[in-house]
Amino acid sequence: MLDLLLAGGVKGFFENPGYLLGVPLIALGVIGALLVLAPFELAWPVRRQAGAGAGTEEAETDTHVEALAEGHPSPEMYIKVGLFLAIITAIEVALYYIPGFADGALLGLLLALSGLKFVVVGLWFMHLRFDSGLFSTLFTGGMVLVVMLMFVLLSTLGASLV
Amino acid sequence: MAVQHAATEVGHLETSTGLDNRKLLMWLFLASECLFFGGLIGTYLLYRNSSVAGPARVDIYDIPFTSISSFILLMSSVTMVLALAAIQRDDRRGVQIWLMATALLGMTFLAGQAFEFTVFYREGLTLSSSLFGTTFFVLTGFHGAHVSVGVLILLSLYVMGTQGRLTKKQSLNVELVGLYWHFVDVVWIVIFTLVYLIQT
Repeated sequence: MLDLLLAGGVKGFFENPGYLLGVPLIALGVIGALLVLAPFELAWPVRRQAGAGAGTEEAETDTHVEALAEGHPSPEMYIKVGLFLAIITAIEVALYYIPGFADGALLGLLLALSGLKFVVVGLWFMHLRFDSGLFSTLFTGGMVLVVMLMFVLLSTLGASLV
Repeated sequence: MAVQHAATEVGHLETSTGLDNRKLLMWLFLASECLFFGGLIGTYLLYRNSSVAGPARVDIYDIPFTSISSFILLMSSVTMVLALAAIQRDDRRGVQIWLMATALLGMTFLAGQAFEFTVFYREGLTLSSSLFGTTFFVLTGFHGAHVSVGVLILLSLYVMGTQGRLTKKQSLNVELVGLYWHFVDVVWIVIFTLVYLIQT
């Protein structure tokens, strides 16, 4: 079976349009099966009961708003994160102008720095670090599909970043 | 009864996940947007070197200018998150200031993009001049359209604030707009690197 799939080498594998859809679907299926068969339970946040512990509409809403803000960083922290992002951007631009950098090394560094900025914005500004894991799962799921899409697309049609 | 009404109005207490459905929907939307922009970026990467006519990428990109644009958009994420922090502590004047600052930074970014497109057009790069032009303008144009929508929503929130309709109770609205805005920012982080800085 594996021989059949890889008959034309790795690139040959991706030349079959059937696999273009098949690979992401198989991967999703495997992830789903692992989640179903996993010997642990997914810890969804516990549902809060309406009316428990709050007496008035105002108090209920305030509790909700405070729960939303709970654990979020302070404005000072946001500014520090913003400065960090600005510095990373400056480093990216500086790298671009350094002569004699090998294409592969430059590509790796730029992609790593870009990924770092992406993660920092997601974790701190979009509060993925502080919110329910379900949001992270959803967003990461989208990102995994994008990476797979890119990989299949570029491999199939022979494009390269370097 | 009042408590029940409040629970319905707030809209997250009775859900099966215990999470606010609006926020869940926003994250689902953003996950789908990942694929939307992933497709556009992938197409650009495929065809960026396939052009037989029109100016080449290395000849027309103005990296210092685009770096400043990127910096402006990045800083708009900081002002957006400061607006959220302000409304969560019921600082109504603060949220007004930071929302307007975010909208202004977004508009500055859009003005920069309009300037860049105009320069490219004058140098012979159009939507139909080459595959590079097509994929570049479609990708960055759709991103610009997303920024435009974000600016409109920010200005709407600002107007709500001037009418006194933006209080601590509505902090989730600001948070949802913030999520959208930060997503637009992270997409540009990827575009800036893959489209502008990596020119092989």
